[in-house]
Amino acid sequence: MRKMLSLTALIGGLVAASTAQADITIGFVTSLSGPGSSIGIPYGRGIQAAMEYKNEVNGEKIKLIQLDDGSDPSAATRNARKLIEEEKVDLLIGTATAPSTIAMLAVATELKVPMIAVSPVIGQPNPADQWGISVPQPASLLVKVVADRMKRDAMKNIGYIGFSDAWGDLVYNGAKAVETEDGIKVLTNERYARVDTSVTGQILKVLAVRPDAVLIGGSGTQGALPLLALGERGFKGKTYGTVALVNPDFVRVGGKAAEGIQVSAGPVIVAEQLPDNHFAKKLALEFRAAFLKANNVPTTDGFSAYSFDGWKIFTSAAERALKTAKPGTVEFRKALRDEILSTKELSGVHAVYNFKPGAYHGVDERALVIVRLNNGAWTYEP
Amino acid sequence: MTADIAAILAIDGIATGAVYALVAIGTVLIFTVTRVIFIPFGDIAAFTALTLAALDAKQLPGTVGLVVVLACMACAMEVVSLARTGELRAVPKAVFGYLVLPLIVVGIVWLTMRFNPPMPVRLVLALLLIMPISPLLDRIVFRPIADASVLLLLTVSVALHFALVGLGLLFFGPEGVRTEPLTSMAIEIAGVHVSGQTVLILTAALVFSGLLFLFFDFTLIGKALRATALNRTGARLMGIRPARAGTIAYLLGSLMAGVSGILIAPVNTIFYDSGFLLGLKAFVGAIVGGMASYPGAALGAFGVGIIESFASFQSSTLKDVIVFSLLIPILLWRSFASQHSEEEVEE
Amino acid sequence: MTLQQIRLVIAAAIACLVAAPFVLNPFSITLLNYIGIYALAAIGLALLTGVGGIVSFGQAAFVGVAAYSTAWVTAVNGYSPWLGLVLAVVLTCSIAAILGFVTLRLGGHFLSLSTVAWGLAIAFLFGNIDGLGQHNGISGIPPISIGPLALVESRQIYFLIWAIVVAVLFVCYNLLDSRIGRAMRALRGGNTLVESLGISAFQTKLATFVIAAFLGSLSGWLYAHLGRFVSPGPFEAAMGIEYLMMAMVGGAGSILGGVVGAAIVTLLKNSVQDYLPLIAKGASGQLEIVAFSALFILFLQRARQGIVPFLAGFLPDLKQSRPQAATALPRREQPPPGTLLLKVSDAQRRFGGLVAVNNVSFDVRSGEILGLIGPNGAGKTTMFNLLTGALRANSGEIAFAGRSITRDQQFHIARAGISRTFQHVKLRPRMTLLDNVLLGTYSRTKTGLLAGALRLNQAEEASARYEALRQLERVGLGDKPFELAGNLPLGNQRVLEIARALAADPTLLVLDEPAAGLRRQEKLKLAELLRSLRADHLTILLVEHDMEFVMSLVDRIVVLDFGSKLCEGEPAAIRSDARVQEAYLGGVA
Repeated sequence: MRKMLSLTALIGGLVAASTAQADITIGFVTSLSGPGSSIGIPYGRGIQAAMEYKNEVNGEKIKLIQLDDGSDPSAATRNARKLIEEEKVDLLIGTATAPSTIAMLAVATELKVPMIAVSPVIGQPNPADQWGISVPQPASLLVKVVADRMKRDAMKNIGYIGFSDAWGDLVYNGAKAVETEDGIKVLTNERYARVDTSVTGQILKVLAVRPDAVLIGGSGTQGALPLLALGERGFKGKTYGTVALVNPDFVRVGGKAAEGIQVSAGPVIVAEQLPDNHFAKKLALEFRAAFLKANNVPTTDGFSAYSFDGWKIFTSAAERALKTAKPGTVEFRKALRDEILSTKELSGVHAVYNFKPGAYHGVDERALVIVRLNNGAWTYEP
Repeated sequence: MTADIAAILAIDGIATGAVYALVAIGTVLIFTVTRVIFIPFGDIAAFTALTLAALDAKQLPGTVGLVVVLACMACAMEVVSLARTGELRAVPKAVFGYLVLPLIVVGIVWLTMRFNPPMPVRLVLALLLIMPISPLLDRIVFRPIADASVLLLLTVSVALHFALVGLGLLFFGPEGVRTEPLTSMAIEIAGVHVSGQTVLILTAALVFSGLLFLFFDFTLIGKALRATALNRTGARLMGIRPARAGTIAYLLGSLMAGVSGILIAPVNTIFYDSGFLLGLKAFVGAIVGGMASYPGAALGAFGVGIIESFASFQSSTLKDVIVFSLLIPILLWRSFASQHSEEEVEE
Repeated sequence: MTLQQIRLVIAAAIACLVAAPFVLNPFSITLLNYIGIYALAAIGLALLTGVGGIVSFGQAAFVGVAAYSTAWVTAVNGYSPWLGLVLAVVLTCSIAAILGFVTLRLGGHFLSLSTVAWGLAIAFLFGNIDGLGQHNGISGIPPISIGPLALVESRQIYFLIWAIVVAVLFVCYNLLDSRIGRAMRALRGGNTLVESLGISAFQTKLATFVIAAFLGSLSGWLYAHLGRFVSPGPFEAAMGIEYLMMAMVGGAGSILGGVVGAAIVTLLKNSVQDYLPLIAKGASGQLEIVAFSALFILFLQRARQGIVPFLAGFLPDLKQSRPQAATALPRREQPPPGTLLLKVSDAQRRFGGLVAVNNVSFDVRSGEILGLIGPNGAGKTTMFNLLTGALRANSGEIAFAGRSITRDQQFHIARAGISRTFQHVKLRPRMTLLDNVLLGTYSRTKTGLLAGALRLNQAEEASARYEALRQLERVGLGDKPFELAGNLPLGNQRVLEIARALAADPTLLVLDEPAAGLRRQEKLKLAELLRSLRADHLTILLVEHDMEFVMSLVDRIVVLDFGSKLCEGEPAAIRSDARVQEAYLGGVA
């Protein structure tokens, strides 16, 4: 009896939710709350900037539906199913944390809807049944570019300290992967939680191995914590990190201790300092303008640009896919996937993208430049 | 591990422990007076840090909005419940206490902000702004169920924590803050470098627990609070209103949490959701004291800080597992140490 | 409502469930799948929290242990999901058993706090154990296969999920209506009563705890194979609270409440996500959790008992048939009248410096009614607690039927044949008269957990029900066996307690101030009842304040004063004893 009531409620919800089909429907999931929100909110703003930049393909309007996953993979799964089964989206874009992204990708693959991941995805897809690609530079590449720089700087013994979460794992594994190639040795694997009050213990362990340089596998504001602790203990060596550190709060919080850190980052971070012939310069400035217009605040990080590049990849593939099929159909989704997976030399603000079946990532070393923090500002270090 | 490292870790642990101790003492205070295990205390500490950071950045802190919203809700609830019982004469007083007073605080902050106040004034403003929150929450959330079982109050308290985290994200945004250090001096004790901030944290912890002690022993309100903690019915018979005692306990507790928030803000980045682990670890300390003894709670909190510090050196990934697993033997010990009384669950 | 009608409703509900995938759109099925999975965990909590009175914040950790076990077995090692189920259940239940063994002796909120602690600790472990995919989680978990059919699509796994939910509902209802289930239902409200019926409160709690974890493990297993991906996030503290929320919203005391609560919370979340952006544009993500927590707090403030019990109040009462005559339960061999039954020698109990019972000795002989009297503070209640095992003697010896019970636990003493009643009536007011008396038959029956859950116990159950009805009739309450115990007047509640004690077929009946608070008429009826019990050769020890009541009833009296025995003898002798008069001067007399 009561079960019937809840079923009636379900059916009621179903009638209310059946919406008119827009031309191209995009489902976008990001983390507006929970621990992933400091990355997820910029992703959300990035997609608004992208909509501002281009909101139709070949005259077909794009309808964007955005949902919050609260940094919870279960919610991301449900959102993905909701977007596909209820809103009949043609493409999924998401989300801020790696586990949620992997969870969404599993749904996209099962229900055969293409997905553009804006977080790094590890592993190898089955080329015959691949429905997703990932926009950001893989952690291995981020670390490899930094490692090349460490090599150039003649560093040998590296101490590592990073978050005790998926991101910390990615950077550490990336660092371990280049270890054999370059003669660089990663000697510690210390972790701290995003909400920790102190990393003294971990830093003491890092310093105990007398590293030439310390690699930071944190992100955002709290990425400054090890740098502050290193400064307090009088560490004189160099520090390195990845693009995840780049945001104004990191600079503000890190203050003097963060000075001189070198990170590998997408060129969009230092757009105005790039040489005029750089592939990302013009587009990056356009992106910044669109971002300001859509959100009324200037961009300050690299994350929002991933959403933007994802959008670029989608619109470019959609242009080609529209020639063979109509949006909202199975054929269109298949065509869209095929076109995304055959993206060639597409310039974004982070990278030049080349996708092919059998790999999630489609960027090369052009996607990264080294920037250094000088007097509170990121400077391009070719 | 060498003696040097052990000394550094110990000092670090004591500093962290001192922060936990302030929150733990507040938790015990509120529990004894109102029987509420106030999980959101850590959030109050985090909000203080975020408020201070906003004041430092010359922005109007999100706390202002929070206080205004809560004050309106609490006032409306109080007036309605007074109207229901026909005590209309008490309405002006209720409006003053629940609405006007918090608004005056907000007004003071708003006015003072225009004159670029110096650091000490900003500290006071941050504390002023944070103190009304818990008493208002008490009125809105806990007063209607003041007679419920400890377990129900605990469940409500946990739910309240989640609501506060959401509100924190709304009012303060997802980014963390770190305020400027209150002091940059440093001293050397037996060859170990101790930062001025650590000294300050310890001093503040001692001073504020000392003040609380004096308050309990030498003021009438303090004695009334103690009486309520020991025996609610008895206190009521002696003319002490438990609701009023609760409000005072929440105010005092907020002060402790606020101070800990101010102390921790320069040494650690504080996010809108940093309060949970802070509150829980303080809470582990409070349990060591059996949720009844202030020195016990403080000692327990120091213990947690030190264990955490050494655990982070031994195995940084399993640090929190170690701290929380430790709670179980502590609980067992407390449970057997305290005389069992049949606790009847409501039917 | 008759049983027939209920069966009809159940059949209709199941038919709706079966039809759902053919009628509803795919996303509704997805939602139903999640509802089913959450419902399993919530039913476990409903049992633990609502029935057993143990508030646990750690259910999500059990779900996680199971999800990770099966993920490890299938995705990492490539074995079948069914093997994953075995490991999931075994591991989860073992962890629950160990945790329960350590923590279930904790009292009240300490126990709940410990669930917060281990819940957090286990959740932190998932991301930090090597080989479990760390914080990225484990992907590529295969779907469950039944024979050649792999349950890939939502629609396919839907049937498995809801088949399990329905089966669990049936089994849980059976369980609660069985011997062990009644003991579980009695847990809520304190240990003393439970132990006095010969039930080990600790073992019963442990069983409830493991069952809750078992249901959590089913939920985790299904979760892993539905999403085919696990990561630490969904098993953290926040989810533990959400399960609790589901159980409490649905109605913590009700099994169906778990399902209803899971449905309400899941659907509400879904519609909050749909409608909140319309109200508060831009801030919806942040407001979701606020709106949700606020609703939960409001719910706890206004409607603590939950939805299902609230709705059930509107349904017509279930018409139950009176228990039919059945084989009698085996009876204890009663000692011949006049033999020494209870021997108290030099019993002493101190509380700090106060000696509450000081070297008291007396005997109780089979077939008599012995009164234990004394003014306020004489140590009567302490003596009573020593006899029933609620307190331990510091020195001295208490022997029952020739065996020392000085160090025995309460429930052992109860099983040995001493049944008691309470000065402050301890009944389960929301259970029927019959169920309350059935609690008394616990020590005379044997049905285990599994047999009860699968209804393999019908013969013994029928005997127990008949016995309970007989005892109700014996004390004069046989006319309304399905009335709720809480609706009885105090006098009848005391009589009900006696019926419950009699259902245990005791050798010695110990009554703690049975006349307290009764009106004169009720006292006379009570005395009449006790006399009739003596006529049936039952031995009774009476601790009483009311001299008139005692004098007219008992065979012998022991008088306590200031913790020591003052004198002992027949009522007439005691009445004229000068020391007794002095002790009672200004007292009740």
